[in-house]
Amino acid sequence: MREVTFLEAIRLAMWEEMERDPNVFVIGEDIGRMGGAFGVTSGFFEHFGEDRVIDSPISETAIIAVAVGAAAAGKRGIAEMQFIDFISYGFDQVVNVAGTWLYRSGGKTPIPIVVRGPSGGYVGGSLYHSQQFEAWFFHTPGVKVVQPAFPDDAYGLMKAAIRDNNPVVFYEHKYLYRRIKGAIPDASEDYIVRLGEARIRRYGSDITVVTYGAMVHFALEAAQRLEKEGISLEVIDLRTIKPLDMETILESVCKTSKVLIVYEAPKTGGVGAEISARITEQAFEWLDAPIVRVAAKDAFVPFAEPLEKFVLPSVDDIVFAARELAAY
Amino acid sequence: MGSTRTRRKNGQQTAIAYHERLEKSDLLEIYRRLWFARIFDEALYDAKKKGRLRRGNVYGSRGQEAIQVGTTYPLRPDDFVSPIHRDMPVFVFRGMTPEQVMCQIWGKANAPTRGKDSWSHMGDMSLGIVHSTSMLGSTIAVACGVLWAQRLDGRRDRVLVAYTGEGATATGPFHEGLNFAAVHKLPLIVVVENNQYAYSTPVELEVPTETVADRAKGYGIPGYCIDGNDVLEVYNTTCAALEHARAGNGPVLIECVTYRLQGHADHDETRARQYRPVEEIELWEKRDPLPRYRQYLLKTGLFSEAELPEPPPDIVEQIQKAIEYAISSPDPEPHTALEDIYDESAGVSR
Repeated sequence: MREVTFLEAIRLAMWEEMERDPNVFVIGEDIGRMGGAFGVTSGFFEHFGEDRVIDSPISETAIIAVAVGAAAAGKRGIAEMQFIDFISYGFDQVVNVAGTWLYRSGGKTPIPIVVRGPSGGYVGGSLYHSQQFEAWFFHTPGVKVVQPAFPDDAYGLMKAAIRDNNPVVFYEHKYLYRRIKGAIPDASEDYIVRLGEARIRRYGSDITVVTYGAMVHFALEAAQRLEKEGISLEVIDLRTIKPLDMETILESVCKTSKVLIVYEAPKTGGVGAEISARITEQAFEWLDAPIVRVAAKDAFVPFAEPLEKFVLPSVDDIVFAARELAAY
Repeated sequence: MGSTRTRRKNGQQTAIAYHERLEKSDLLEIYRRLWFARIFDEALYDAKKKGRLRRGNVYGSRGQEAIQVGTTYPLRPDDFVSPIHRDMPVFVFRGMTPEQVMCQIWGKANAPTRGKDSWSHMGDMSLGIVHSTSMLGSTIAVACGVLWAQRLDGRRDRVLVAYTGEGATATGPFHEGLNFAAVHKLPLIVVVENNQYAYSTPVELEVPTETVADRAKGYGIPGYCIDGNDVLEVYNTTCAALEHARAGNGPVLIECVTYRLQGHADHDETRARQYRPVEEIELWEKRDPLPRYRQYLLKTGLFSEAELPEPPPDIVEQIQKAIEYAISSPDPEPHTALEDIYDESAGVSR
């Protein structure tokens, strides 16, 4: 086992996959000679060379398109968005080109790509460096969406995403990059975390908390605080947002009969809305209370600290919502 | 002849007459391919009119055949193409069968997309045919990836010919793709079929420069503006571009000036006679690439009139047979609509 940061876990997963498979390459802005804005590809250029570590012009469309076109020709490209917010420039490539290619090739041409980058708020990044737009791709057929919360999952999921034959959008919460540390298996173990499997990070009996990304850590903190009040939270870390592991969610719901869904994105039309709908469709009779969502307000992520704090969900928000739900 | 939309050419020209190296059999094959494209177009309009093709539009390429033939004829079997909606014959020139293409148009179970999509949204990577989408311009950026894969395999000499329209040169992906290809010297040939209209919008509302080829200056690459209705000029320019690209000198832009004699699609024939001046249409009818090439062949003295039938009857029959094959092919089963959305063969997903 190796003790590493969340960021280092992602870096090692990509490095080891590039060592294992010469078809894997990375492309992005400032990722080669500089090693990436956050240093996720630090050292790659020197080790793997300029053909496999491509310094691209500022062209998110082309960055994703190069990964896509190369994938159609048998390669496995990892496209870095310097901030995942910038994926909006390459939206058509993900949704209309990568997402549909297998379909319009009669199942013959899979597009194994990973589009990855730092997401999320709580760092004063403001409007264009804080967003969580996973719902855009959650809504898109042909695309998978991943957002880990711990180094071991980030490591295993990144490896699975690279080996997966479908386009995967990989959200790396920048708040976790250097704050969260943990043990990951040694390279020789060939450890992967299969896509589409949630993980229960804390077992409990009163309320099921369904969440992902940085919110997993908030939920775990809330669970610790509520334990002293005699309220027991079960925290499910989705890890993969699409495909959604409903089995794990429903099993927990049948046990606790109360559900709190926590996500960092704007509340309306978010991933939590779909989860809530599916629970009511599939386990309505098991519920003892209405499903509650804690999410960002329907606004942009503003710059000034009081504004950002007001918009984004907090540990307190989770604690209050859970208390009310427990009392219902 | 003075207005933008009647101009023939005024960009960089190639001086080498590559076509002089062609054998008589090549010259005849080019003639037959021009006719293949013409008959293909006419047969589909006819099928649509008669109600035999009941779904989807027919995007005509009448008058643009010289581009389809001239740009593909000099390619090697291992080169790539990414055809768009007015290049349907290119799929056949690059190895698909007319039956496959017709099944695609009729949305049949045995079509390349299994009925999932229609018309030009298909491909076959094993034939080097790259699938395009409706968002023209997008493929120019995707082409860079296909070529990057060749670079990783040590095959820098494989060229990709990406087709697009003059309207699509206004899109972001066109710019990002060509810029990327130029920065990294990828062997990409962008063929801009300037047929003067993007649906109803005339070229002067899409492109501010005198020629579309002028855009090449922004990427520091060669830009040719040629007569797209002269199959030999298209052929010669493509040969020059291929030499440039294969030698590792980076991309080339070829603007083939032509004219869309029909509407945007078969549903647009009435309006297309309103948003375009009739004199303009008449002028371009006279520049039909087929009789022009036939006259050239007769002048060479290599061919008799009888050797150049208009149209070659066997091609008419070949296309008609392909249409009948498509019509009698099975429709897709409804449940197959949910197949091919994900590929789980890698086994890393539950």
